[in-house]
Amino acid sequence: MSRPFPYTYISCPCADTPVPDPARKRRSRESPQKSPSKPPPERVNPSGEDKKEPTKYEQLEEDEEEEQTFDPRSPRSNFSLYPPEQLLYCEECHQIKCPRCITEEIVSWFCPSCLFETPSSMVRSDGNRCGRNCFNCPVCTAPLAVSTIENATGNGAQHGPWVLSCGYCLWTTLDIGIKFDKPTNIRSQLQKMTDSTAQPAIDRSRQASRTFGDLKSPLSTFASIDEQSAAREHEEEQSPSQEQEAPPMGTDARFAALKSFYRTQIAETSSSPNDPLSTDFGFSSPGALNRLMSLYASSSRLSGLYGGSKKPKSKPPVMREAITASEGLQLAPENGDEDLIKRLTSPSCGWDGMASTEQRAAQSPDARFTDDLLPLPALLRTKRAKRCKSCKHILVKPETKPQSTRFRIRLIALSYIPLPTLRPLALSTSSTLPTIAPTPDLNSLPPLRPVHVLLTLKNHMFDPVRITLATPPVTPGNVATKVTVLSPQFEIGANSDVWDEALQGASAPLKGDATAIGMRGVPEAGKVWDKGRNWTTVVLEVVPGTLPGSSAEGGDGNGEGDEGVLAVASQKADEDVLEIPVFVRMDWDADAQLDQGNVGKGSKPDDKVTRELAYWMVLGVGRIQPSL
Amino acid sequence: MATLKPPTNTHRSSSSSHSSGPPKAPVKADVTATIADTVVFQGTYPVTIGAGTVVHPRARFYAYEGPIYVGDSCVISEKAVIGAAPSPSSRSASPSRTADPNTSPESGTGTNSKKEAVTRISYFVTVGPLSTIEPGAHVHSSASIEALAIIRRGADVGSHSKVCSGVEVAANGPVGEWFVVWGSGPGQRRKRARGAKAMSPAVIGASQITQAPLPAPAPEGRVIEDARLMVLQKEREVLARMLIPAAGGRKK
Repeated sequence: MSRPFPYTYISCPCADTPVPDPARKRRSRESPQKSPSKPPPERVNPSGEDKKEPTKYEQLEEDEEEEQTFDPRSPRSNFSLYPPEQLLYCEECHQIKCPRCITEEIVSWFCPSCLFETPSSMVRSDGNRCGRNCFNCPVCTAPLAVSTIENATGNGAQHGPWVLSCGYCLWTTLDIGIKFDKPTNIRSQLQKMTDSTAQPAIDRSRQASRTFGDLKSPLSTFASIDEQSAAREHEEEQSPSQEQEAPPMGTDARFAALKSFYRTQIAETSSSPNDPLSTDFGFSSPGALNRLMSLYASSSRLSGLYGGSKKPKSKPPVMREAITASEGLQLAPENGDEDLIKRLTSPSCGWDGMASTEQRAAQSPDARFTDDLLPLPALLRTKRAKRCKSCKHILVKPETKPQSTRFRIRLIALSYIPLPTLRPLALSTSSTLPTIAPTPDLNSLPPLRPVHVLLTLKNHMFDPVRITLATPPVTPGNVATKVTVLSPQFEIGANSDVWDEALQGASAPLKGDATAIGMRGVPEAGKVWDKGRNWTTVVLEVVPGTLPGSSAEGGDGNGEGDEGVLAVASQKADEDVLEIPVFVRMDWDADAQLDQGNVGKGSKPDDKVTRELAYWMVLGVGRIQPSL
Repeated sequence: MATLKPPTNTHRSSSSSHSSGPPKAPVKADVTATIADTVVFQGTYPVTIGAGTVVHPRARFYAYEGPIYVGDSCVISEKAVIGAAPSPSSRSASPSRTADPNTSPESGTGTNSKKEAVTRISYFVTVGPLSTIEPGAHVHSSASIEALAIIRRGADVGSHSKVCSGVEVAANGPVGEWFVVWGSGPGQRRKRARGAKAMSPAVIGASQITQAPLPAPAPEGRVIEDARLMVLQKEREVLARMLIPAAGGRKK
């Protein structure tokens, strides 16, 4: 784990709930929260399965449910452990939600450069890129600035040709011989210059309709295809003479031509528009498959069912390939490769004149040299709302406006679960004097020597919370570290007003008492270490185990047997990292009003209902020294 | 390079030198040059600074291995290092190693009989903050060295070139004229447009297909560079005005 010691992670229970099965999801959701229910028997790895039987868990922990202890070393754990601040909380399901158990939906698209929102209808036609003046340098990807040439030479007036220029690598559109007449709508100006889809015979509206047709799903209806092919034929009638001297098409135009050509081919060669098989496969399926299937259909006896009256075609029409330039055929130039090589080896190009793969990635496939690169409109970003995957409750909803960083709804888990923080106790247990002993170096903990760590839980709810902590007495994995929570049950105060504590004299002696116990005492079983307004600190006694290969290896239990293959696989890496799984169960008295389920009961406003939440967390304490 | 006048500001630079500190390099600066108070000149060889050049505070000149020439109208930014601070090894034997064929020793003022590494910065050069120009490097006119860039010994940066920030030009590595070195580490190179460039093939192809007239040809790429130099000129004038109050009445 990449965080510095000590760290805390919280395990999202979703790792053990198979998400794609909605039926089970619903079942588990409908089951009452507090009633203990058996986990589904087909769970592969039941570790961390705790949500459903939190009350039972304490008692069962020692016996046959031992194997359900959350193992932070299990390969699956990597996918369920998150830093507490990354988690969300669903108020409907009363569960922690990690990035894996939410769905995202896009609230708005905006350009990160000009912060203008792009309506969702425009996003696709704009190619997910900003439609205004925001461009990135095709050479170095830095944002380009619109600047005038005349202004810089001292005329002062804001007129004259405009260029896009990169402040970093000094690339300008003059490098590709392009200037703009206006400083606005650069995208459409550039589009107009480089647009090669327009054909002389087609007016603007026709082209627009065609591009709209292209945007349709490949599984569109027959009607649109026929329409298109009709248009196509009409076109061909119109311009047979132009085909001869037709100039080479641009890439987009060629693609469009090929696409429509093959669409018409598929439509023509499929045995009939009413062929059930061809409708099943749609137009985008290869013609060969269609033909094959219709062969089977016509030869089989089942053909009587579908189209028995139809005369079975013995030989379906064969699809031909594009043969003319207007159909999208492009012949490679006679000596194109030689020209390319000549240009490559010329001193004016060389290695620096070649476009790199990164530069070519977003460019036209014909762009090979840096001179062919066109400025790239800035890619749009999105603002996303997040929903709970199981109940579709909205967890996060940002403001739609790109300029705003505020959120309308944001249910982060730390508002509901206490924030765990860990720090070592600067107190050596061997000495009775509570002097300022040096804090143990967490990156090299001596084995078999007890270390005390302080676990502070800070409550962010407005209700006091009762916490029960539980750890396995010996950590799972190869290195058996003994862990004892000195005071496993305690309370955390409500997150009341900060001034309450200061203004109310009553709480002052309590605090003084706590500090008196905390600061001058030694860790004592059954007592909390320190307590504040909305936080409580308890002591964990940790006796790090010995590493398997070390000199100080004792006879204490190596939990290798029950871990099996997974443990062996993860043995090498980070075996010395001491991570303690801790099961946290919290319950508190919430206002019944807030709970939708209890509204119908007509309970009084001051009626409280007990809620509880249970989860695993992992405390990363440190690394164990290889030897004493 | 402008006519070099006898150093009129020796009293200023002497104020920054210690009595028993490192050797103080003799500075020949033009009267119109603006040199901040806290600029460090060390070494045994002369440092020459041309007319109109602005040297920001805490720039350092180490003329241990050869003279340093800074041409007219340059900007040397804060904490830029020209030359190399003496290390025990370089003080004893290394100057011969750093000699560069491009920069033949012109100056006979050196006391060292060995070949000296002349560090030469021509006119209109911008040297960014925290950048390093090692001895023997030659930065030609109107080049710009961005922040944190490193020009190793004997490198030759051509005129109107740009070494982007953080890029390292290798020892004796040439950078051609009108080139941009960008990226990280040794960087990638890009030739800037100097004359009028041919129109992009995409535009030509599109205009052939649409049979629309080609857009008017774009002006030469040089206009961009002219504009940049003009802005640089203005910037330097402002800078000089800003630095003069810092220098107090001692200037002139």
